[in-house]
Amino acid sequence: MRKSSPMSTDMSTLLELQMQLRRAVLGGDAAEIVAAIHGDGLDPAARVGIYRNHAFATLGASLQDTFPVICRLVDKRFFAYVAHEYLREHPPHSRCLVEYGADFANFLADFEPSKALPYLADVARFEWALNIAASMRDTAPLPPRALAEVPANEAAYVAFRLQPSLIYLTSPWPIDAIWQANQENEVSAVDLASGGARLEIRRADDGVAWRRLDAATFAFRTALADGLVLAAAMAGATLQDPAFDVTAAVQHLFAEGLVVAYCLSSER
Amino acid sequence: MTEDRPIPRCKAGIGLRSQHATEIAAARPKLGFLEVHAENYMAETVALDRLLELRRDYEVSLHGVALSLGSAEQLDRSHLGRFKTLIDRIEPVLVSEHLAWSAIGGAFLNDLLPFPYNEESLDLFCRHVEEAQEALGRQLLIENPSSYLRYRHSSMPEVEFLTEVVRQTGCGVLCDVNNIYVSAKNFGFDPIAYLDTLPVEAIGEIHLAGHHAAKDVDILIDDHGSRVAKPVWDLHAAALRRFGPVPTLIEWDTNLPALEILLDEARHAQELADVYRYVDTA
Repeated sequence: MRKSSPMSTDMSTLLELQMQLRRAVLGGDAAEIVAAIHGDGLDPAARVGIYRNHAFATLGASLQDTFPVICRLVDKRFFAYVAHEYLREHPPHSRCLVEYGADFANFLADFEPSKALPYLADVARFEWALNIAASMRDTAPLPPRALAEVPANEAAYVAFRLQPSLIYLTSPWPIDAIWQANQENEVSAVDLASGGARLEIRRADDGVAWRRLDAATFAFRTALADGLVLAAAMAGATLQDPAFDVTAAVQHLFAEGLVVAYCLSSER
Repeated sequence: MTEDRPIPRCKAGIGLRSQHATEIAAARPKLGFLEVHAENYMAETVALDRLLELRRDYEVSLHGVALSLGSAEQLDRSHLGRFKTLIDRIEPVLVSEHLAWSAIGGAFLNDLLPFPYNEESLDLFCRHVEEAQEALGRQLLIENPSSYLRYRHSSMPEVEFLTEVVRQTGCGVLCDVNNIYVSAKNFGFDPIAYLDTLPVEAIGEIHLAGHHAAKDVDILIDDHGSRVAKPVWDLHAAALRRFGPVPTLIEWDTNLPALEILLDEARHAQELADVYRYVDTA
């Protein structure tokens, strides 16, 4: 083992220096770190600025890649401002940048300057879901005939494991229509009063696909995705629609290739 | 000087960016190796599947950008674990990291930040390199950073620090020639003297990339966003003369060009290496 170095007495320790540079890079006070570096013919603050600019530029670009429609909805300059505030308060924890931005939607929801766009946070949730779903690999689905192996008296207590890329998202705003309208050069008008959307998002082909679900199917599939057994999922769906046809609903799940495994409650 | 070890054939490679993955998979251009940022492949994703597919036809080098070996706190064991899992999946030809830090107190700053070079930091950095090599089960190459500031706390030059890390930990060096050029310009030191101080037998890889001049101040910025500049090719020739033809990577991460341009840069690197293979390095 190495012996540890004695603490410096007249100068900041390494940890203190790094906390000082962290503060400056995240847009905070730079006075302490500036005092610790050589000018070398330049204002030391400008040297620190190079690192701060790099951090904001690359992390901001990462957010912009993940949330292009948000960027379009609020325009580039406002997005840069939002991203700046978000980075200051929520710098990445994960060392993997693709995992940065999971709580950006929550941040937007509480961001006072964009309160005039109440749908913004939900559109961000939708964009995050599109990114996640697109990155997940598909698993081979169970064929519909797998159902025949479930004993009839246990069918109510079967739990399904669904495709890992599946994400269910609901919003009081037409977030899918807003997203779609912003894929074109000319943004067409979206009727915000047209109501909300219950969305199923999944990886498909070499990209991502989504569709709207009716209230009962959404309740049914969300419950299954959460690991509830068939009887419980059916109960939730029937509350939405007393005529909900559970047999047809299960057949559709299999036909769409969404079920990758199931287990009986007796096996749990 | 190189009599004891066989001179490796230079293999020129390129950094693999996701935008080029499909084209490379389809065209399978001749390349010495592909290098990826390890952190982009640490989850079970479609991107990892694509890389594993390419791995069948290419050697892959894993370049870590977030281990933060210079942090004055414990290494992130969970990140090390994810890195090890990836190494086991990919079986890379090279694994590298940086003489830098990028995370402290739970915040990852996504930059290769400098720290002062002194006894305290040398002790810490060597401990972290040893711990990482132990956890990853293999030798790491450590890359010299491009640098824009110097600390009053530094008591030795960067190249001496790096050489001492090699001596104490047995790690190798990823010699980034563009970074040497950029830092030498920014601080007015002699880049050839830097090359001449590096331990020849430790050099496992060379990086080449583009840089640009900052707008308002007299500073070069390493941005991996353009072709390798002429003076960097010249410095690279000096590196080849000293180190022999080590595997050389063309890095290009911003303002990504057409794949053909990257391949053209890699071809040039290969040609240079072929020339210097016949130059007496003694």
